[in-house]
Amino acid sequence: MQVSNMKTISQTSPVAHAQLKSNAKWALVNGINTAVEFASAEVEQARKKILGVTDVSCLSRYGVKGAQAAKWLADRQVTTPANPNSWGVSDQNTLVLRLGGSEFVLEDQFAGSTCARLASDSTRVPNVYKVPRADASFILSGSEVLNMLSELCSLDLREKSLGAEEVIMTQIAGISAIVLRQDLSGEQVYRIWCDGTYGPYLWDVMVEIAVELGGGAVGLACYQS
Amino acid sequence: MTLRTSKQVGEWVNRNKKISFTFEGEQFTAFEGDTISSALWAADQKVLGRSFKYHRPRGVLSLANHDVNVLMTDGVDTNIRADVVEVKDGMVLTAVNTTGGVKKDKSSYIDSISPLLPVGFYYKAFHTPRRFFPFWEKVIRNAAGLGIVNFDYPRILKRKQHSHCDVLVIGAGPTGLTAAYEAAQAGLEVTLIDENRQVGGSLTYDRGGEAAATKQLNELLIKVANQSNIKMLTGTYAAGYYPDHLIPVVSEGGINKVRAKTVIVTSGAFEQPPVFRYNDLPGVMLGSAAQRLIYRYGVKPFNNGIVVTANDYGYRVALDLLEAGTKVVAVVDLRKGTNTSGPAITLAKRGIKIYAGYCVYEALAASDKSSVRGAVLCEYDNVANVALTKNKVTLECDGIAMSAGWAPAGALLYQAGTGMQFDNSVQQFVPSRLPDGIFAAGKVNGIFDLEQRLQDGKRAANEALRYLGLEAPQITVARPVGQPTDLSCPSHPYPMVPHEKGKNFVDFDEDIQIKDFVNAAKEGFDNIELMKRFTTVGMGPSQGKHSNMNAIRILARIRDLPVEKIGTTTSRPFFHPTPIGHLGGRGFHAHRLTSLHDWHQANGAVFTDIGAWKRAAYYPANGQTKEQAIQAEAMAVRNAAGIIDGSSFGKIEIHGPDAAEFLERFFTGSYKTQKVGRCRYVMLLDDSGVIADDGIASRLADDLFYLSIGTSNAAAVYREMQRSQQMWQLDIGLVNVTGAFGAINIAGPSARAILSALTELDLSYESFPISSVRESHVAGVEARLIRVAFVSDVGYEMHIPMAHVPHVWNALLEAGKQHGLRPFGSDTQRLLRLEMGHPMPGVDTDGLTNPFEIGADWAIEMSKPYFIGQRSLQILAKRPLRKQLVPFVLAENFKGEMPMDCNLVVDGRAILGRVTSIAYSKFIDRCIGFAYVSPAKTAVGSTFEIRTDSGTLVKATVAATPFIQNQKGA
Repeated sequence: MQVSNMKTISQTSPVAHAQLKSNAKWALVNGINTAVEFASAEVEQARKKILGVTDVSCLSRYGVKGAQAAKWLADRQVTTPANPNSWGVSDQNTLVLRLGGSEFVLEDQFAGSTCARLASDSTRVPNVYKVPRADASFILSGSEVLNMLSELCSLDLREKSLGAEEVIMTQIAGISAIVLRQDLSGEQVYRIWCDGTYGPYLWDVMVEIAVELGGGAVGLACYQS
Repeated sequence: MTLRTSKQVGEWVNRNKKISFTFEGEQFTAFEGDTISSALWAADQKVLGRSFKYHRPRGVLSLANHDVNVLMTDGVDTNIRADVVEVKDGMVLTAVNTTGGVKKDKSSYIDSISPLLPVGFYYKAFHTPRRFFPFWEKVIRNAAGLGIVNFDYPRILKRKQHSHCDVLVIGAGPTGLTAAYEAAQAGLEVTLIDENRQVGGSLTYDRGGEAAATKQLNELLIKVANQSNIKMLTGTYAAGYYPDHLIPVVSEGGINKVRAKTVIVTSGAFEQPPVFRYNDLPGVMLGSAAQRLIYRYGVKPFNNGIVVTANDYGYRVALDLLEAGTKVVAVVDLRKGTNTSGPAITLAKRGIKIYAGYCVYEALAASDKSSVRGAVLCEYDNVANVALTKNKVTLECDGIAMSAGWAPAGALLYQAGTGMQFDNSVQQFVPSRLPDGIFAAGKVNGIFDLEQRLQDGKRAANEALRYLGLEAPQITVARPVGQPTDLSCPSHPYPMVPHEKGKNFVDFDEDIQIKDFVNAAKEGFDNIELMKRFTTVGMGPSQGKHSNMNAIRILARIRDLPVEKIGTTTSRPFFHPTPIGHLGGRGFHAHRLTSLHDWHQANGAVFTDIGAWKRAAYYPANGQTKEQAIQAEAMAVRNAAGIIDGSSFGKIEIHGPDAAEFLERFFTGSYKTQKVGRCRYVMLLDDSGVIADDGIASRLADDLFYLSIGTSNAAAVYREMQRSQQMWQLDIGLVNVTGAFGAINIAGPSARAILSALTELDLSYESFPISSVRESHVAGVEARLIRVAFVSDVGYEMHIPMAHVPHVWNALLEAGKQHGLRPFGSDTQRLLRLEMGHPMPGVDTDGLTNPFEIGADWAIEMSKPYFIGQRSLQILAKRPLRKQLVPFVLAENFKGEMPMDCNLVVDGRAILGRVTSIAYSKFIDRCIGFAYVSPAKTAVGSTFEIRTDSGTLVKATVAATPFIQNQKGA
């Protein structure tokens, strides 16, 4: 019987299919083959200022739901947002999204290990259900981001309507997605998560609009420094 | 000759920039900012188009986006509304709906035979005698429609966006500007839209010969411009009203769906024409159209004109005509009495003859019928509403301006559910009960005096503020109270002038005359909705903006009822014709890809859409047809092994102590007794007992089931599960892992041997029999293995994390090389499951099929206390079956026309059922399938006939399933 080491099994970003035609530079990030550069740093910085679309699906995520999920996370030193449909930051800057009242999505930063730590705990606990995550995840940046989102989403995502700690579950370009606003190193960006199998579709749609509006694809490297 | 005036204050044309274009092959010049119509009119081109039915010459009517007899094509686009579309340099234009050109339209003979084409003509033509139907169909199809669709029209992206605001103000005339300003002053975020290129509404053209309107407009514009919280959108119309204040607003660039907290409708009113013989001649136009020509485009409507009016507005029009240099021959007022209004006194002082209590009995056409040469006036009986023809007066003129009243632009109010009532004092339908958050002001609210309109705008804004919880003083603006005959009434109650020779048009879109309504009523179509459809009034491109009100008045007169008893027709979105490209927008086609998509693509897969997924249907080798590829893949599965990417299957985990209880309620079967490690079939019904979906429930633990279901319905099933759980409140947790887990099915006699090389799991039949589930590893990846027999009696479904699917897939291919393993697609899967004798929901069932009809009684546990659809099944079980699904084969070595899916099963002229699946199986060398037949024909060996597309009858024989032999020890 053939036995593989799970860590050696190559994985690819769920968005990769849409990026293959773009001559991107690829690198393994968190064990996932990811497009890290689409153009020169100068070009990507310019895109980022107008409308940058970045694939960050490679970030580690962990999902859990159930009536006891909040307690289960708290028992494992994860700080959860107090209110439904809001988000916060736990140790190691891990994002903790509370979807509704009893479902949570955690996303580590590049060097974070919270998700891996939680995943290693396979004990089944009543009213705590692991939700396997295979999201496509994106960062949208730049001055035209709301212009693009106005075409993709029927909700008001402006700062005055979407609070800094709010998470919304909505439809983006016709598919279910999670959206929030985030401050990344002083830059206001939007984060989007959707089912990974929709990732290539959403990437194509967003990059098409971004290019029309003067922006485009931005590699992950822009956010790695 | 040119009709261009001297420069007008506030005109919309740029006289410093001349442009040229052609119309019907003739060269014209224009100023930048001219519309096509204004440029042609300035050049004294009077015939701009032809009417729809009679091909009568037509010119300017409204110059307000409703001149639907003046539609043009530039060779690429068609039905361009010349009255409002800006002319561009180099345009090559022709009128639509002509035969041989607008000037000498060969179809104009139809006008002379119009008595042969009475109202309802085409309904009757189609009806009797029936043998002439094809003839009339050809004739009427040729005549129907306007313009020619350009199938090479370029795909120009029109974005569909969403926006949000506190207040949406629809219409930027004086009332709308005031409302927007007042709302903005209170700090609200205001969006103000107007369909015109520039804001200002009537202030841009209704001046009554004075400069005050211009000054007032400028003051308003300055105030509005200083409010940064007002977003002003011009060239944009509100296309409809949808619940919760969602208004799609349409501009050249696309559609913006505005979600407003509150809406103020200040959309104004459409001027209405009086109805008299030849009121459609080029040169006869609405008074407001004449004013627009003058002040927006610097064009004189005519040189010697008559104003026929039934309100004081016509007097203002006359003053504006004088300002433009037109000689006003007379003002003809349908109303009797001495008019003491300011404009009337001014006109009298300027020596303009006023015929009070007179009507235009008929306009006189020039010899070529393409312009006006005069008008015949008669005294008008305002009670009987007829012309008193004893003392006719004939005046020479080259144009007539008409002002008979107004109809509210209330489409959005109607769509929003506003209660409208007819106000006799203003002779107009006005809002009587507005829905929450909707406000109306100005002319659409029955307020016509300018100062009052400004106040009404302020009132509406204040009401909107209070609706949003802000403080604002209450303002009252009352509509005038009086009699319809009062001179102050803005609309005449019945501005119709009967004429024995007709051609007094009510609807210019469809060439409908007064007599058409009378005839329709005589035939029994005397309800407004019926009359609309029989006469086609209001069914043309302008949707009755200038005809519906007069039609209602005529019907009221015919039936001797007050107008309010007649009511109005239904207003539906969209308010204005909107290009399909706008409706389409970017065209989002959301689709899902499995993690093997690139592999499939690299290996030549042909894809098919199943639900939201792109699935590999089959993999044709070089030169292989689809059929050959499918048969080759199927043979590999039967003789060796095949693998299919099943990642698109729906996959749902049901956790918790009540998981089995949940399944028992949700599906038809029994699950409480299901042992851990075993799988059971699940069938979902809807409340009416119709089959919705099916799948497999695998019990992984006492409190955990893993459900795999069909691709197409997975999202809907999960939604239904969530909905049911909301009602049942069981102690469970639902986790949709459709996208998180991929799946591979390996099937065929060599499947066990191939898979054994990649897993420690004992795959022997004894340890891992059919309908069981195990958790193990495959190629080092954690996997849930399910022993299925859908496409082969030796089959293993592996459910693994989506990202690891390519790794396992490649490992299987490598391990299977020596066994002849090959991939197969979803089209091949359909053949394989057919060979196995498995019907598929959605393929072999439809939206009416119940489980008894497919012989799935075995999957139903009726003794349970409850499951979805149980009550319906209890009723259905007592009824005889009307059809039943049976497997069938065609004759051995069948060589005839192959029946297709959906071909009918017939018995003589009777339809017994239909074929749901049919295919040739190379493995058993036989055509096999499923079909619905009458219950009497279900015994194995029974025969029935299938009628093919060409009508050939093919004999089929009911067979037993599976069609193939099971393998020993599978």
